[in-house]
Amino acid sequence: MLAAEAEAFSASSFPILSMLVIVPLVGAISILFTTKSRPEFAKLIALVFSVTTGAMSLYLLWIFEISDDGFQFVTNQTWIEQWGIGWHLGVDGISLFLVVLTGLLFPLAIVGIDPHHHGANTEKPYLAWLLMLEAGVLGSFLSLDLFLFFLFFEIVLVPMYFLIGGWGYENREYAATKFYLYTFLGSAFMLVSLIATAFIASDSLGGITFDLVAIAEGGDIGTTTARWLFFGFAVAFAVKVPIFPLHTWLPDAHTQAPTAGSVVLAGVMLKLGTYGFLRFGLYLFPEAAVWSRSLWLTVAVIGIIYGAIAATMQKDLKRLVAYSSIAHLGFIVLGTFAFTSQAISGSVLQMVNHGVSTGALFLFVGMIYERRKTRQIAELGGIQKVAPIFAAGFMIVMLSSIGVPGLNGFIGEYLILIGSFQTARWWTVVATAGVILAALYLLWAYQRVFHGEPDEANSSFPELKFKEGMVLLPFLVAIVFTGVYPKPLLDRIEPSVDRLVTHVAANSEVDADPSYTTQRGEFEIEHAGDETEDEEGEG
Amino acid sequence: MNLLAQAEELTESIDIGWFALTPLLILVSGALGMLVVGALTPPWPKGLYAFVAAVTAGAAGVMAIVLWDDISDQGPRTLVEGALAFDTFAMWSTITITAVVLLVSLLTDQFIRNTPSDGPEIYALYLVAATGGIVMASANDLIVLFLGLETLSLALYVLAASNRRSDQSAESGLKYFVLGGFASAFFLYGIALVYGGTGSTNIGEMVTNVSAKISEDGDVLTLAGIALLIVGLGFKVAAAPFHVWAPDVYQGAPTPVTAFMASAGKAAAFGAVIRVLVSGLPSFRDDWRPIVWVLAILSLVIGSFLAVVQTDVKRMLAYSSVSHAGFLLVGVEAAGHTAGQADAGLGVASVQLYLLLYAVLVIGSFGVVTVVAGDQPATLESFRGLAKRKPIVAVAFTVFLLAQAGVPFTSGFVAKFGVIQAAVSENSYAIAIIAMVAAVVAAFLYLRIMVSMWLHEPDESAVVSSVPFSAGLAIGLAAVFTLAVGVYPTWLIDLSDSITLVR
Amino acid sequence: MVELVWLIPAFPLLGFLTILIGGRRMGEPLAGLFATAMVGASFVVAVLTYLDLLGMDEEQRSHTETLFSWVPVGDLQIDMAFLVDPLSITMCLFVTGIGALIHLYSIGYMHGDPKFSKFFLYLNLFVLSMTLLVLGSNLLVTFLGWEGVGTCSYFLISFWHTKDANATAGKKAFVTNRIGDFGVMLAMFLAFGAVGSIDYAVINDSALAGTLTQATATGIAALLFVGAVGKSAQLPLYVWLPDAMAGPTPVSALIHAATMVTAGVYLMVRVNPVLGAAADWVPMLIAWIGAITALFAATIALAQNDIKKVLAYSTVSQLGYMFLAVGTGAYVAAIFHMITHAFFKALLFLGSGSVIHGMHDEQDMRKMGKLFKFMPVTASTFIVGWLAIAGVPPFAGFWSKDEILLYAGAESWVLYGIGIVTAILTAFYMTRQVIMTFFGEQKWGSLANEAEAAHLNDPADTDAATEGAEAEALEDAGTGPQSVGAAANADIDQHETHGAHGEFKPHESPPFMLIPLVVLAGLSAVGGLIQLPSIGIIPKNAQHKLLDWLHPIVEFGEGAEERGIGEAIITDTTAYDLKVVLIFVAIACAIAGIVAGWAVYQRRLVKPFEPELLERGWRYDEAISWFMGKPGRAGFQGVADGDAKVVDGAVNGVATIVRETAGQVRKGQTGYVRQYAGVIGIGVVFLLGWFVVIRGIL
Repeated sequence: MLAAEAEAFSASSFPILSMLVIVPLVGAISILFTTKSRPEFAKLIALVFSVTTGAMSLYLLWIFEISDDGFQFVTNQTWIEQWGIGWHLGVDGISLFLVVLTGLLFPLAIVGIDPHHHGANTEKPYLAWLLMLEAGVLGSFLSLDLFLFFLFFEIVLVPMYFLIGGWGYENREYAATKFYLYTFLGSAFMLVSLIATAFIASDSLGGITFDLVAIAEGGDIGTTTARWLFFGFAVAFAVKVPIFPLHTWLPDAHTQAPTAGSVVLAGVMLKLGTYGFLRFGLYLFPEAAVWSRSLWLTVAVIGIIYGAIAATMQKDLKRLVAYSSIAHLGFIVLGTFAFTSQAISGSVLQMVNHGVSTGALFLFVGMIYERRKTRQIAELGGIQKVAPIFAAGFMIVMLSSIGVPGLNGFIGEYLILIGSFQTARWWTVVATAGVILAALYLLWAYQRVFHGEPDEANSSFPELKFKEGMVLLPFLVAIVFTGVYPKPLLDRIEPSVDRLVTHVAANSEVDADPSYTTQRGEFEIEHAGDETEDEEGEG
Repeated sequence: MNLLAQAEELTESIDIGWFALTPLLILVSGALGMLVVGALTPPWPKGLYAFVAAVTAGAAGVMAIVLWDDISDQGPRTLVEGALAFDTFAMWSTITITAVVLLVSLLTDQFIRNTPSDGPEIYALYLVAATGGIVMASANDLIVLFLGLETLSLALYVLAASNRRSDQSAESGLKYFVLGGFASAFFLYGIALVYGGTGSTNIGEMVTNVSAKISEDGDVLTLAGIALLIVGLGFKVAAAPFHVWAPDVYQGAPTPVTAFMASAGKAAAFGAVIRVLVSGLPSFRDDWRPIVWVLAILSLVIGSFLAVVQTDVKRMLAYSSVSHAGFLLVGVEAAGHTAGQADAGLGVASVQLYLLLYAVLVIGSFGVVTVVAGDQPATLESFRGLAKRKPIVAVAFTVFLLAQAGVPFTSGFVAKFGVIQAAVSENSYAIAIIAMVAAVVAAFLYLRIMVSMWLHEPDESAVVSSVPFSAGLAIGLAAVFTLAVGVYPTWLIDLSDSITLVR
Repeated sequence: MVELVWLIPAFPLLGFLTILIGGRRMGEPLAGLFATAMVGASFVVAVLTYLDLLGMDEEQRSHTETLFSWVPVGDLQIDMAFLVDPLSITMCLFVTGIGALIHLYSIGYMHGDPKFSKFFLYLNLFVLSMTLLVLGSNLLVTFLGWEGVGTCSYFLISFWHTKDANATAGKKAFVTNRIGDFGVMLAMFLAFGAVGSIDYAVINDSALAGTLTQATATGIAALLFVGAVGKSAQLPLYVWLPDAMAGPTPVSALIHAATMVTAGVYLMVRVNPVLGAAADWVPMLIAWIGAITALFAATIALAQNDIKKVLAYSTVSQLGYMFLAVGTGAYVAAIFHMITHAFFKALLFLGSGSVIHGMHDEQDMRKMGKLFKFMPVTASTFIVGWLAIAGVPPFAGFWSKDEILLYAGAESWVLYGIGIVTAILTAFYMTRQVIMTFFGEQKWGSLANEAEAAHLNDPADTDAATEGAEAEALEDAGTGPQSVGAAANADIDQHETHGAHGEFKPHESPPFMLIPLVVLAGLSAVGGLIQLPSIGIIPKNAQHKLLDWLHPIVEFGEGAEERGIGEAIITDTTAYDLKVVLIFVAIACAIAGIVAGWAVYQRRLVKPFEPELLERGWRYDEAISWFMGKPGRAGFQGVADGDAKVVDGAVNGVATIVRETAGQVRKGQTGYVRQYAGVIGIGVVFLLGWFVVIRGIL
C-alpha cells in the first residue's frame, strides 16, 4: 500500500496535506448518498476513506524530513484575498505525530466500535459525522492560517455535538449542549483576538493577512496588546484542554459520548487545546506566554492534583478515566509553559501518548459497557478471574497511564517533569507528587473492577474477542514501542521544538534556552537543602 | 409662446433617468399589472400568480445587476433632481430585496394555495412593498425616504393581516399598524426638526449646509431630529428597545409574510439607517454612534437571551432576528467611525453583505417553518423528530440554524466575521466581544431546535405532509446559497467591497 | 564476556516472552523448568562476567555497555546502557543465583495452582527488572528496573487476587513504593540540572571532583534516600512489607527478603560519593533511621504468631542494619550483610514455605510444634538459617552483623547499643519461632483439625475475631491456593483430614523444594568467608575479600580516607581497638537471646510476654489506615463533591440565571399595544435626553 503510493507520486507533486483534509470530507459526503437499504455500503465507504487517510498519514510520516525543523509539504493558496486568508497548510515535528495519531485512530474507531444505538439512529449519519470530524481535526492540526485554523477548530464542534447527542448515553442531550456552548464560548474570544491580531500586525506587514508564519515572524505587536490578544486565544485553548477550572464540560462529554466519540475526544480533540497553546500561543505571543507563565503553571499543577483526587472518588468508570484526562493534560500544560526543550518535547510526546493510552482505556470501558451494560464500578468485580486476557490488556494500558517506565506514558511525563524542574522547580515538585495519585486511583479502580470473586452477573463476563483484540493491538504496540524506543519520535519532534524554544527565548526576556549547564545547577543550590528537608517531612 | 412648449421644456429640463429606474418601474408595473389583469380575468392556474411575481422580481433583480456595471463605469449619481441615489449601495439593496421577493413568492404559493386568500393581491403587495423598500434604501432625500417607508409599511400591515381565517393574523396586522404609525410619526417629526436644523431634507445638501455651520440652536434642533429619526428607524429594524412589536407580529403574521418582514423589512430599513446616519449626518457621528452602540448591545442581549426561553419557533426566530439586528448595528457602529471620510472603512460593506446573507438565511428558516407547521402554531413540539419524518428538510433547517449561529463554512459565519472584523478594525473590541458572547447564548436556542429535530422521537400524531415543489425549491436554493457562500465567499465579498454611497 | 553482559537480562526477557506467548500450552512443570533454566543461564553469564572481571586489574574493572540511545532530547542524553563493575556483578550473582534456586523451589510450591505458568511469567519479569536495576549505568535505567520490580511485586502480592485482602496488599505495596519513587525522580531532576546528566559515572565523578556543590549533593542524596526508604521498607514507609506476605511464599523469599527490598541499599552504595559530598546530616539520618527501624521491627517480630510475618518484620529489621551500615560509611559491610541476609532469609522463607506446604496452608505457629520429626530436612536447614540470623559464629550472619556493629560503634555508642539490643531480640524471636514450629509441644493435632474444619465450613477464619484486621488478611492470604483451587483443593483437604479419620499428618516437601533449602543452608553456613574481619587468628590473605573486590567502588579517587570510606576511617577509634572484645560481646548477646528464648518457650520457665500492642505493630499501620480511610478519604470526597457542586454548579448556575432572568423579562411582554408604545416612549425620552440635553445643550 505504502510502496504503491510512494511510486504513484513524489512528495513534491502530491498535495498530501490538502488530501488529508479533503479525503475524509469526500468520504463523509459520499456516505450521505448511500441508500438506507444497504447500510453495509456506508460502512465500506467509511472504511475505505478512513484507511486511505490513515495510509496517507503514515506515508507522511515516512517522507517527513527529520533534520528539517521548519514546516514541510506546505501548500499556500489564497482563498479570500480581500481578508488576506489563505489555504495554508504545513506540518512540522510538533504536529506530525498528532496528524498520524488522528489518521490511525479514526479507522480503528470506525472499524472497531459499533455505535451504541439509540432508537432509529442509523449507522449512516454516525459514520458521516465521524469522517467529517476527522477532516476537521486534521485541518486544525495542519492549518498555518489563523482564520483557517479557527474554521476547523470551530467546525469540529458540530460533528462532535451530533455524535454525543445522537449516539451517546442516558444524559447525552445535556452533555452535548454543554460541550458545544462551553467550547463555543471560548472560541468567541479567540475569534475577536485573532481578527485583532491580523489587523494590528497588518500595519507592520503592509496589508492584512491571517498567515500564522508571517505574523509570528514579521508581525510587530505591542507588548501590552500582545498580552491581551494572547489572553483571547488562551481562553479558547484553556476551555478545550481543559484547564482547571474550565474543565467541567469534559466529564459529562466523555461519559455521555459513544465509545468512538470518547476515544476521539480524548485521543485527539483535547489536543487541539494543548497544540493550540504551542502553535498559536507560544509562537505568536512568546512574550505574553512567558509573562503569564506562573498563572498557567499554577492552574496546570492544580489540574494535575485536582483531577487525580476527583478521579479517585468517581463511581462511574468512564467518568474516572475522564477526570484522569484532566490530570494528564495538566502535565502537558506544565511542560508547555516550562519553555525548555525537554519539557515541550515531552508535552508533544505526551499528547500522543495520552491519545493512545486514554483512547485505549475508553475502548476497554466501552467493551465493559457492551458486556455488562453498566459503567458503575460498584456493579463490576472479579473480571480478571473470568476474563484474564481482557484484564491483562487493561492492565498494560493502565500501567502506561500510571506512567510505569518501559511504557509510553512514562517517557512523556518524565521529559515534561525533568524539563520543567529546571525552570519551574516548585510547580514540578507538586506535579511529581501527582504521579503518586495516578497510581492510587487507577489501581484502586482496577482492584474493584477486576480483582475479587465475580458475582453471578460478572461471572459470565465474556473474554476478549478476536476482533476487539485486533483493534487493541495497535494501541498496545504503540504503548510498548514508545516506552522502549522513543528515539524515532523524539528525533522528529525535537528540532521543531528547539526552534520554538529559541523563538520564545529570542522574543522574551527570560532565558528559555534549551541547554542547561552547571551555572543553572548553582541557581538551584539555594533550594536544594530545605527542599530535601520537606521531602523528609513527607517521607 | 404656447404653454405646451414651455411645459415640454420644463419636463425635459428635469433629468429623470428612466433607465436607471427600471427595477422600480418593473416592480410597480408588475404589481399594477397583476392587480388589474387578475381582477379582470378568472382565477389563474395554480401557482401562476407566484410565478409571475417571481419573474417580475427576477427581472428587476437582473436589471439591478445590469445597472451595477453602468454605475461602476460612470460612477454613482443622483436621479430625479437628487431625490434618489443611483449608486451600488442602492443596487445591492435592490438585488437583496428582489431576491427576497422571488424566494418568498415561491414560499407563499403553497401556503395560500387552496385558501380564500389565494389570488393576485398578496403578490402584488409583495411587489409594492419591495418597491417601497428599494426607495427607502436608495432615497437621497428624507421625504422620499419617508415615502418609501410608508409604502413598505402599509403593504406590510396588510400582508400581516392577510390570513383572514386567523385572528392572530388580524391582531398582528393591527398591532403592527398602530405601533408602526406611532413610529412613523416620530420619524416624520424628526425629518421636520432636521430640516429646521440643516435647512434641507436632501441628504447631499444637509451635509454641505451642516459643514457650512449655521447656528447653535439649529444644532440642537438637528440633534433632536436625529433622535426621532433613530426612533423611527430603530422601530423598523426591530432594534431593542423598539423591537417590542416584533415577536407578536412575527408570530401572528402568516409565516411567509413573516419571512418577508424579517428579510426585506430589515434590508430596507438598514439601507435607510445608513443613508440617514452615515451619508446624511456624518458630522454628527460622534453624537449618534454611542446611541447605535447602546442599541446594538441592547438588541444583542435582549434578542439572544429572550429567544432562549421561547417555546414558539416563530417567536424564537423573531427574537433571534432582534439579535441579528444587534449584529448589524455593530456594523453600523463601525461605519460610524469613518462616516463621511474618504476611506469608507469596512462598516457599510459588512452591513450590506450581512443583510443579503441574512435575508436568504431567514427566508430559508421560515420556509422550513412554513413547510413543517403550515398555518398551525409552530411550537417546538411540532419539530420533534423531524429528522425521522423529513430528513432532507431537517438537514436544510440544520444548515440554516447553524448558519444563524455563525458556524464556519456557512454564510452566517461569513456575515458575522464581516461585521466583527469591521468593528475590530475600528478598535470597538468591547462591542465585538459582547456580540460574540451573545452569539453563544443565541447558539443555545438553535441547538434547542436541533435537539428536538434530531434527538427526539416524533410523536405519532405528527402529520407527514409532503413538501410542495415551489417551497422545496425556495428552501433548496436558500440552503445551497448558504453553504456555497460559506465555502467560497470571495466573489460576494468582492462585490460588497465595491459598494459606494453617493455623496 | 563483559560486552555480553546484556545476556544477563536477555535470558529472563526471553523466558518472559516465551511464557507470555506459549505459557498456557507449556503448562506444568515445563513452564517452570524453562523459566528456571533462563534464570540459571543468566546466572552462568554473571559468573563468566565475574571471572572476566577478576582477570583484569582493578582499574579496568568498570565497563559501560551501551545498547541504544533511549531518551535523547537536547543535552539530556539517556542511553539504555549497562555498567559492569564489581558492585553490579556482585548483585547480579546473588540475584540470579538465588533467583534460580527460588524458581526451582517454586516448581514444587506452586504445584497444582491453576495459574502455574503465569507465576513464572511474573518471576522471570521480576528477575529481568532486578537485573536491569543493578546493571543500569544511569539513574533512569535503574529506575526502569526499580519500577519494574515494584510492578512485579504488585502482580505477585495480589497473585491470588480473588481474595480482596491480597489485592489490597498489592495495591498498598505499589502506592507506598510510589511515594519513594517521588524522591528518586526529583533526585534525577536535580542531578540533571546540576551536572547535565544522570549517569552514575558523571554524578559520582563530579561529587568526587567537588564540582557538585554540597547543597546539591545533599539534595540528591536525601531524595534518593526517600526512594530507598520506600523500596527497602524502612520507617516510616515499611508498612507495605508485612502485608506483602500475602503473596506466595517463594515471592516473599525472592522479592521481599533477598533481592528487591535490598535495592534501596544498593542505590545508596552506588552513589556513595554523593553521600560523601553531602552535608553530614544525611548519613546521620540514614544511620539513625536504619537503627531505629531495626529495633522497632524487631520488637514487633517478638509477638507475631504468623510464621511468615515474623520473618517479614525480621527482614525490615535486618534492612535497618544495612542502612545503619550505609549511614556509618560501612558500604562494604552493607553489601556483605545484604548478601548473607539474602542467603539466610531466603532460606528461612523457603523453609517456612515448606512448613506451610506440609501443614496444608497453615501459617499460625500456635497450631504447629514438634514438626522436626515430620520434616527433618526442612527443620535442619531452617535451624542453620536460624543460627545464621541469630549471629552465631561461624554462620554467615555473624560476620556481617559484627562488621556493621563495629562501624556503628566507631560512629556512636548509642547506635551500637541499639544494634546490639536488636541483635539480642533477633536471636530471641528467631528462637521463639524455631521452638514454636519445630519443637515445643505438638499443637496441630486437634487445633489444625478444627482450623481445617473451620476452613471447610466457612472460609472466614473462626478465630479471626481475636486477630487484628491485617492478621486476618494474612491468615486468609496464606490459604490462597485453597481459595484459588476452589473445589479441587477443598476436596484434597477433606481427603487429608477426614479421609484419615481425623488423623492429620504433616509431610516433608518434594525434592524440588528441598534442594534449594540445602544449597541455601550451605551458603548461610559458609557465606561469611567472603569478608572475614582483620583479626589475628584469621590469615591475612583470607581477610576482607569482599572489600578488596569492591573497593574500587566504595573508595576511589584521591583521598578516599579523608572522605571516610573503608576500614581506614575507624582505625583510630576505640571501637576499632576493642573489635575483638566487640566480637565476643556479639557472640554473648546471640547466646543470651537464644537461651532466653529457649527458657521461655521450651522450658516455660517464664510466662511469654507478648503484649497485643506489639502484635499489632505498635498500631502504626492501623493509624495510617485509619487516617487514609477516614479523614483522607473524606477530603478526597470533598474535592469530588466540590467539583460537582461548586465548580460545575457555577457553570450550570450561570445557565439557570440566564434562563430565569429571561423568563422574568419575558413576562413583561404582555401583548398590550399600550404597553409596547410605553416602552418605545421611554426609549424616545432617553434618546432625546442624550441628544438634546447631553450632546446638544451641555
